[in-house]
Amino acid sequence: MSIVPKEAIEVIAQSIGITNLSPEVALALAPDVEYRVREIMQEAIKCMRHSRRTSLTADDVDGALKLRNVEPIYGFTSGDPLRFKRAAGHKDLFYIDDKDVEFKDVIDAPLAKAPLDTSVNTHWLAIEGVQPAIPENASVEALAVPSDGKKSEYSEVLIDLKLPVKHVLSGELRLYFKHITELIVNKSGSVLLKEALVSLATDSGLHPLVPYFTYFIADEVTRNLNDFPLLFALMRVVRSLLRNPHIHIDPYLHQLMPSVITCLVAKRLGNRSSDNHWELRNFTANIVASICKRFGHVYHNLQPRVTRTLLHTFLDPTKALPQHYGAIQGLSALGPSVVRLLILPNLEPYLQLLAPEMIHEEQKNEMKRHKAWRVYGALLFAAGQCMYDRVKMFPGLLSPPTPAILKTNAKVVPTMLKKRKASTDNLMHQPSLKKVATDGKMGVIPMNSMQIDTQGTTGGYSTAAGGSGVGLSSMSRQLPGREVGGRVVKTSTVLSQAWKEDMDAGQMLASLFELFGESVLTFTPKPELSFFL
Amino acid sequence: MEEDQLEKFVVAYLKKKGFKQAEHAFQEELQQHQSKNNSSSSISTNSITDPDFAKHLLSFPELENVPARYQDGYSKLRSWTYSSLDLYKHELIRVLYPVFIHCFMDLVVKGHIQEARTFFNSFREDHEMMHSRDLQKLEGVLSPSHLEEMEFAHSLRHNKVKIKICQYSYDLLLQYLHKTQLTIMLGIINEHINFQVSPGQPISISDDAEVVTLIGSSQDEATQINQKEIHWGLLEDSLEERLEKSGVLLSDSEKAEGETKEGELDESKKRSVEGGKQGSSTKKLKKDKAASATGKTGRPEANAVITAPRVKPELALPVISTEVEKSILEDLRNRVQLSSVSLPSVNFYTFINTHNGLNCSSISHDGSLVAGGFSDSSLKVWDMAKLGQEAVGSVLQGENDTTSSEHVLGSNGGKRSYTLFQGHSGPVYSATFSPLGDFLLSSSADSTVRLWSTTMNANLVCYKGHNYPVWDVQFSPLGHYFASASHDRTARIWSMDRIQPLRIMAGHLSDVDCVQWHVNCNYIATGSSDKTVRLWDVQSGECVRIFIGHRSMVLSLAMSSDGRYMASGDEDGAIMMWDLSSGRCVTPLMGHTSCVWSLAFSCEGSLLASGSADCTVKLWDVTASTKVPRTEENKSGNTNRLRSLRTLPTKSSPVYALRFSRRNLLFAGGVLSKSV
Repeated sequence: MSIVPKEAIEVIAQSIGITNLSPEVALALAPDVEYRVREIMQEAIKCMRHSRRTSLTADDVDGALKLRNVEPIYGFTSGDPLRFKRAAGHKDLFYIDDKDVEFKDVIDAPLAKAPLDTSVNTHWLAIEGVQPAIPENASVEALAVPSDGKKSEYSEVLIDLKLPVKHVLSGELRLYFKHITELIVNKSGSVLLKEALVSLATDSGLHPLVPYFTYFIADEVTRNLNDFPLLFALMRVVRSLLRNPHIHIDPYLHQLMPSVITCLVAKRLGNRSSDNHWELRNFTANIVASICKRFGHVYHNLQPRVTRTLLHTFLDPTKALPQHYGAIQGLSALGPSVVRLLILPNLEPYLQLLAPEMIHEEQKNEMKRHKAWRVYGALLFAAGQCMYDRVKMFPGLLSPPTPAILKTNAKVVPTMLKKRKASTDNLMHQPSLKKVATDGKMGVIPMNSMQIDTQGTTGGYSTAAGGSGVGLSSMSRQLPGREVGGRVVKTSTVLSQAWKEDMDAGQMLASLFELFGESVLTFTPKPELSFFL
Repeated sequence: MEEDQLEKFVVAYLKKKGFKQAEHAFQEELQQHQSKNNSSSSISTNSITDPDFAKHLLSFPELENVPARYQDGYSKLRSWTYSSLDLYKHELIRVLYPVFIHCFMDLVVKGHIQEARTFFNSFREDHEMMHSRDLQKLEGVLSPSHLEEMEFAHSLRHNKVKIKICQYSYDLLLQYLHKTQLTIMLGIINEHINFQVSPGQPISISDDAEVVTLIGSSQDEATQINQKEIHWGLLEDSLEERLEKSGVLLSDSEKAEGETKEGELDESKKRSVEGGKQGSSTKKLKKDKAASATGKTGRPEANAVITAPRVKPELALPVISTEVEKSILEDLRNRVQLSSVSLPSVNFYTFINTHNGLNCSSISHDGSLVAGGFSDSSLKVWDMAKLGQEAVGSVLQGENDTTSSEHVLGSNGGKRSYTLFQGHSGPVYSATFSPLGDFLLSSSADSTVRLWSTTMNANLVCYKGHNYPVWDVQFSPLGHYFASASHDRTARIWSMDRIQPLRIMAGHLSDVDCVQWHVNCNYIATGSSDKTVRLWDVQSGECVRIFIGHRSMVLSLAMSSDGRYMASGDEDGAIMMWDLSSGRCVTPLMGHTSCVWSLAFSCEGSLLASGSADCTVKLWDVTASTKVPRTEENKSGNTNRLRSLRTLPTKSSPVYALRFSRRNLLFAGGVLSKSV
């Protein structure tokens, strides 16, 4: 009936020495006690209001008791909250846990700091009705919600605490993530991993894990650049994630791209010579291309940033050959137009740079020569692909092959290079050199215009290691004295104009033929090839 | 109607009521009766003819389960009310609350405590919004004796609630009650509700606030009181008036005139002080009053564009020295005109490190002095002019302290930025500066009011008279007199030179929580925990207005400078604007979410500022609704609401005090409370 239980009355009676309280009395007293307590609390609320407070304190209750001429209850005004403890063996009996304090401790304790004295500060809350933005005034956020003061009251607390965003991940997902990551790290290449990759590419409930995977990939790539199998496994995971139709990976791309680009153009991938990092680069190049293809229209600066990063790597002679290889692969995977736009104009000078590396006499190191040949192969592939595309597009544009081309038809590339080098070594042809330089600039122009909307963004991706300032002109500056027979000049001019839409496919083919020899012909479509031959 | 059946009823009734002896006697008599008049026909056949009444009687034996019938009856009435026609619904719903609380109290009186509680809890939600405070009070009632003891319940039991209702609703209600034989409900309604049946259309929803509020005193009394005449005009010959009269420049002749008037006043004041309060002849004053009420008879300012009528002071007013007068006039001339488009600048005084001990704060008229009353019985005054020099002029401060009296603790006074006034023996609940800032009054839980001199830094007088904590004290607008409000349910008028109160205003049914002077010093307003605001005539000590409408304790009051309106703020954050002459609420201002601690009208009365525990200062546009032609306003009342112009949030500082300076700069005081 009353919220004060009869037992409480009995306990209090006992505590003040009344042992023979009959249950009826306790029962009758209980409601009255409740009524009195309520009465006192109402008085206490009055005291609270007149103390201009909105929370009730022990002082208010004391004040109310005084109003009723009742002895106040002493000892409750201290700041510590009271701890009520349940008496052992009793369900409804509580007592206040009042700890014994050693006198010695109290005496020995250092004096508490004197509380700061009350003072008054003054500031402008408003000047002609407008609140100045000074630290003494409430912040703008509080202004935004003036209507409900309750919220603004608590917003203060929220600002101080800044609760962390709690991301709830189910136990199953956590287990899944743990297993997958373990698989990737420890058993890359196992059959189990293949299963896992399939699962990653198809399972529908994995979206909550995407941020964790992207973070994991980024983390592992930066830490384990010399662990080839792991890198390969990671790239496979990326591909699987990209393939999964239930995952919206867009928001995490910016986290993912640096790792991917790293796997494409890093200086060293894996620490053993047996590691087939070429394959990894090819694989990654395809991933990059697929990403650009899929998200290029959503993030219009994605492809320009990627190509710029790759181009910088490609045009930087200080970079190692595998890096060039990766860049070329990446660019060529982006499609023939990219190749035409970015590689072909720079093909001629680059090949000249590459030539010495490929020749047995010049480069004694078998490994390096191998690398150079790899790069050459990539270039050839890229150029060939591009040409194939052109020829297929404009079959009618094929011009009758020039005698010069037919003449050099049978030459093997190295010999051609050798010969050209020999012929040009002693020739200083100033005007043509200049020409190359200007051509180089011309080749850069389309790239710049393409990137016009990304001017504000900072450079390429982070893996585009330094020296990006090295452009074509510097490259051509490094080649003085190696230039250049008139005919070669002509080829380079032709190639440097390759970005033009209406470029004659036949001329291009001819120029490429100049550079690559007949191996380029394997890329021309069959009917056209027969036309040549 | 068989006779024996009737007898059975009577017996059953007596049995049920426990009248054993009566029952016995009745039966004996009955037997005698039967033996005597066996042959004759029944004598009582003609006594009962009304079949309806018989039906009611029939239902008596069924009354064994009383609590269930209350519960049942109320819930039936409730569901019927809620499903009634929308047009009449709100009128009928008004009936529910009184029925509800009386049902509850009936149950308690009959001793069905447990049932009363379940009844209360099952239906209290309906009324929670409107009457939460009352319900909280009633909730604790657990025995019939509590009902007797509790004043609120007592007054409810002994007074009828008046409910305005239209004829049709009334008929509907009665029909329903008769048809369904909810006799208990009918009984309660008959016993405790007084219907004011009005023909025609149901009353609009908007003015139900005052209809529904239950006050202890009968409402008839309130309306009767509110019909008294009141003269809310400004004081004649006030400084403002003189300024208006003279324009910007004070011509010498007028000034001389003013001085002679002052001389008269001075004389009259002396007379009154010498001869006690009765010295100023009330007869003459009344005549004056009548004269001013009828019209401005041949007054020079009659042709001026002054809207507020002028009244004579009923009190002998203090003299203002010419020097002070000059400075005030200077201020008035430099006053910034505020309106809804030109808002005031607000200077905020933040108390820091109060350790939750600050109970009140007050700001002097020029904003140079700020007082804070603390729960440790101390009163501290900061001089803002010295605040800037604090770092440099600490020596100077120390000098001041040493010259001050023993009331100021000078032990480490050199470092203190404030003047400490000690003398009270309980929490200080209120402080007020005299208009010139030379005196300070404080009221405390020790039931005294103390007068302090801010020039001498000393306690001058201790006024004892209240028996309980004094919640509020306010200087009159012209000084010398002050009013206090106390837990002992009275407000008292004092003058500085007497230690006994001049008037005691009694009538509130609960604590008087706040007090405010009318600008013409002839009236004071008091706000109380009984949720009413009353206006008292200072001269006669009578209550001249009761303002009913607040739903919780009234915490703050303010009078408009033209004397026509009053604003009151309550615990729930509601602010009400009252028209003093009609006694009606002009418009309720909703916006604050917590206690409204302080209210202030701007000097020309166009803006109202309110400070609240929700850490905001709000500015309201007064002119939007109140400056419509008076005649229309009296009829239509609350046509449009007051606009809230601006909300100025503070940085977690509840606003304790507000004050417009004479130049219309708004000062606000509050305490920085991190724990809010």
